[in-house]
Amino acid sequence: MVWEILRPFVSLLGDSAFGQWLGQSTERIAWLFVMHLAGLTLLLGGTVVVSLRLLGIGLGSQSLPQLARDVAPWRMSGLVLSLISGALIFTGGAVSYYEGAWFRQKMTLLCVALIFNFTVFRLVTQAADGRFSPWLNRVTGGLALLLWFGVGVSGRAIAFF
Amino acid sequence: MPMLEWCRALEETAVGTLVRETAFPYVEGTHVLGLSLSVGTVMWFDLRLLGATMSTRSVSEVFRDLRGWMFAGFAIMFLTGALLFTAHATKAYESAYFRAKLALIVLAGVNIVVYHLTIDRSEPEWGAAPVPPLAARAAGLISLTLWFSVISAGRLLAYSL
Repeated sequence: MVWEILRPFVSLLGDSAFGQWLGQSTERIAWLFVMHLAGLTLLLGGTVVVSLRLLGIGLGSQSLPQLARDVAPWRMSGLVLSLISGALIFTGGAVSYYEGAWFRQKMTLLCVALIFNFTVFRLVTQAADGRFSPWLNRVTGGLALLLWFGVGVSGRAIAFF
Repeated sequence: MPMLEWCRALEETAVGTLVRETAFPYVEGTHVLGLSLSVGTVMWFDLRLLGATMSTRSVSEVFRDLRGWMFAGFAIMFLTGALLFTAHATKAYESAYFRAKLALIVLAGVNIVVYHLTIDRSEPEWGAAPVPPLAARAAGLISLTLWFSVISAGRLLAYSL
């Protein structure tokens, strides 16, 4: 399994001087979580507006490709901010995070969400209005919400369960 | 009755006890992911005021597009936020982060009221411009800064409980 293959590298990361230094201070981790939430707001806020448009239940005044283009730089900044802060938070507690079931679910969903985002989601949102059937738009919007909120819910669950 | 006594009484209500002992992860999770509909939608309006997104749409069109979702998002935040408060009212009341968070929310509210009573009155004249006048840009920047500060205070508050 891929989780077994990666384990030695995760140990190395967690035991590294940098990993130890990050994990030492609660305050450092707290500020990384602030960045992670700011990233989440940009990423999910962007996903929500584009998905509402795809579902046909919001942002009706805008053309889909124009809206997607307008939202993309902010949404992608949110993704990058979430990924960087998330990677640093992980480094500060790598070994214990790595064994968690919710963490693994989050990473699995994240991979699916990223692949979906840069294939189907990108293709459908960049197409001219009317090129694809409204049903494909709705399914794409629904899946985008399900996947990205699934990542978020799993992330919250790491802290509690 | 002094505030602290009132907070203690609130914690001992059935609702406070239920949230603290059982519902906390779900209420907190909803509060965090609710960021996508609250700050995650209002930020597009703020960015539009800054001339940084959706510039092919007028300011009032962007507001109409987001209005319903924005109100729903903030309703979720106030409801779940109030429930979270009942669970740890005394500790929250004494926390500097909680007080800062409330003060920042009040300031964000004042900014909205001032915007609607002043600059927004002449929106028909400048709303279609890709980059709105300085006063409108200032309102957008203040709003963005305040809302992301609210998120930061909230995350740090969660750490201090």
